[in-house]
Amino acid sequence: MQMLNTRTPRPARRFWHGARSSRLTAIAILLPPGLILFSLFVILPLTESGYYAFFDWNGYGTPEDYVGLRNFERIADHSVFHTAVGNTAKIIAVSLFIQMPLALFLALLIYRKTPTNALFRLIFFVPYILAEVAAGLIWSFVFDGNYGVTASIARSMGQESFFILADRDWAFVAVMTVIVWKYFGFHMMIYIAALQGVPEDLIEAAKIEGAKRPQIVRYVQIPQIRPAIIVSAFFAIIGALQVFDVIIPLTNGGPSNQTQTIVTYLYSFGLTRLKIGFGSAVGVLLFLAAILVAVFYQRLFMKGSRP
Amino acid sequence: MADVQLAGITKSFGGVTVIPGLDLKVPDGSFTVLVGPSGCGKSTLLRMIAGLESPSAGEIRIGGTDVTDAEPSDRGISMVFQSYALYPHMTVAQNIDFGLRLAKVPAAERATRVAEAARILSLEPYLDRKPGQLSGGQRQRVAIGRSIVRNPEVFLFDEPLSNLDAALRTQMRVELAQLHQSIGATMIYVTHDQVEAMTLADQIVVMKDGRIQQVGAPMELYDRPASEFVAGFIGSPKMNLLPGRAIERDDVKTVGIRPEHLHIADDGQWRAAAKVVETLGADTIAYMDAEGLGEIIVRLPGHMRLKAGERLGLSPEIANLHYFGHDGHRMEHVA
Repeated sequence: MQMLNTRTPRPARRFWHGARSSRLTAIAILLPPGLILFSLFVILPLTESGYYAFFDWNGYGTPEDYVGLRNFERIADHSVFHTAVGNTAKIIAVSLFIQMPLALFLALLIYRKTPTNALFRLIFFVPYILAEVAAGLIWSFVFDGNYGVTASIARSMGQESFFILADRDWAFVAVMTVIVWKYFGFHMMIYIAALQGVPEDLIEAAKIEGAKRPQIVRYVQIPQIRPAIIVSAFFAIIGALQVFDVIIPLTNGGPSNQTQTIVTYLYSFGLTRLKIGFGSAVGVLLFLAAILVAVFYQRLFMKGSRP
Repeated sequence: MADVQLAGITKSFGGVTVIPGLDLKVPDGSFTVLVGPSGCGKSTLLRMIAGLESPSAGEIRIGGTDVTDAEPSDRGISMVFQSYALYPHMTVAQNIDFGLRLAKVPAAERATRVAEAARILSLEPYLDRKPGQLSGGQRQRVAIGRSIVRNPEVFLFDEPLSNLDAALRTQMRVELAQLHQSIGATMIYVTHDQVEAMTLADQIVVMKDGRIQQVGAPMELYDRPASEFVAGFIGSPKMNLLPGRAIERDDVKTVGIRPEHLHIADDGQWRAAAKVVETLGADTIAYMDAEGLGEIIVRLPGHMRLKAGERLGLSPEIANLHYFGHDGHRMEHVA
């Protein structure tokens, strides 16, 4: 027995032992900063808002007025919330079916590395670089019925000037136009990077096989950039769920709450009215929606995109 | 099947002319190999024949038809790329089938033609696999299959074997030669490997700096190289190119002698010391230092034992000496 106890470890075991202890040291040093920050600024607020969602609370003092699911019931019954959800769904649809195809079309036009293309890439990317609030303000001037560009155009065509942002039916169309304008450059850049990675040989081989430009796009380029398209769709949906700061300077959710999205709804009916419990409940629903998208994305696309 | 004729083909990129006026005739049914060092313009020339690059000037005719400005798909050609250029998201069958689908060939005929190509190239077990699941040699076969299935008049190959290992390259070389024999189509093949050129071609075109140095059958180039460049490029180990004083001639700038045309002789006119000896089995290749002449390579019988540092006399076969003048060209009738 003594012999066994005094036996020195074999070199391989010593190596693994060493590797494991150095890994543990690395974890002990590197993990805490990230874990503490993430816990403080993500996990804690998330859990807290999950807790506040069951209270009628104005944000001051300790929440005491427990209301159970009443906040959620009020949200479910609120017609403005329905409009906000509908609008968010419209933004998702416009992002997927107008913004992304537009971005792909432009990317296909300018993905090759030439000086002219670089200039156009820059022009198309500028809206994305602009701060959301600045973009919202610029477009609120553009859409202004008295002095805006659209008003001048309408007048030059002999039409009466039009306050589109004050129109219940058209205001959200204007908002969606701004959203497409603001974010298509981002998606375009994802596609450009992906298209530049498609081997030129594949395209040349297709040309020799008799493929015309649309066929090359359909059969070679789009299948090749499929992972990029999936990622861009994911960003488009998550981004649509979060749309807020473009809308505030443009319409502030109006007219008559016709341009509310889930986040502007949370802001208008939760924060600005000091109904933190109610706002938290909206936040919880938004979080669940984002989780749902992430899980669907994982299930539907990540498996397929693995080689 | 068709011949290919190039007349006055020029290619410039910006201000740089890479091919300054080139004429070439590729006979119907021939296996023509364009060979030359990197950057000599051989791939550019092939791409112009394919229609992937437009010539700056000149005319390209395939089967007598001017195709200079025709689309690649309207030229009756197919091309096998160095990288294989297979579509990774399609199966082997879909890859082979792609051109036929684009041409709206009926499904039944497509199936027959794909099956035939798969049979010729022994690809039947792999038709449902994706290219990523195949070995290099199998991928190359798929690329060739994609070419065959369209029944082109001219096959173009752009260094198709350069990504394969040595053993596979030799095997594929034999398969390509057999393919040419069986289908008899015109084939134009680009390579920088002169062994591939010698073994595959019935016509070799040696290029340098965008110009054709010599066109001819492999043994014609081997036996009668038109210039010092061709002499040094064709043949492995390469021809010894020695200064004219080796044969005591002032009018000859360079005299060439192939390694197999040198013999060991005690009274040989050149004295040399062995530096490195490579025993290949059938042959022994000796890299020697000839007094006053520089390095000289000698091909000796396989069982010849020679030690590094050993000094010998070397005697060339006079009939197999090649003489090159000060302009680098072959000198005929040198007594």
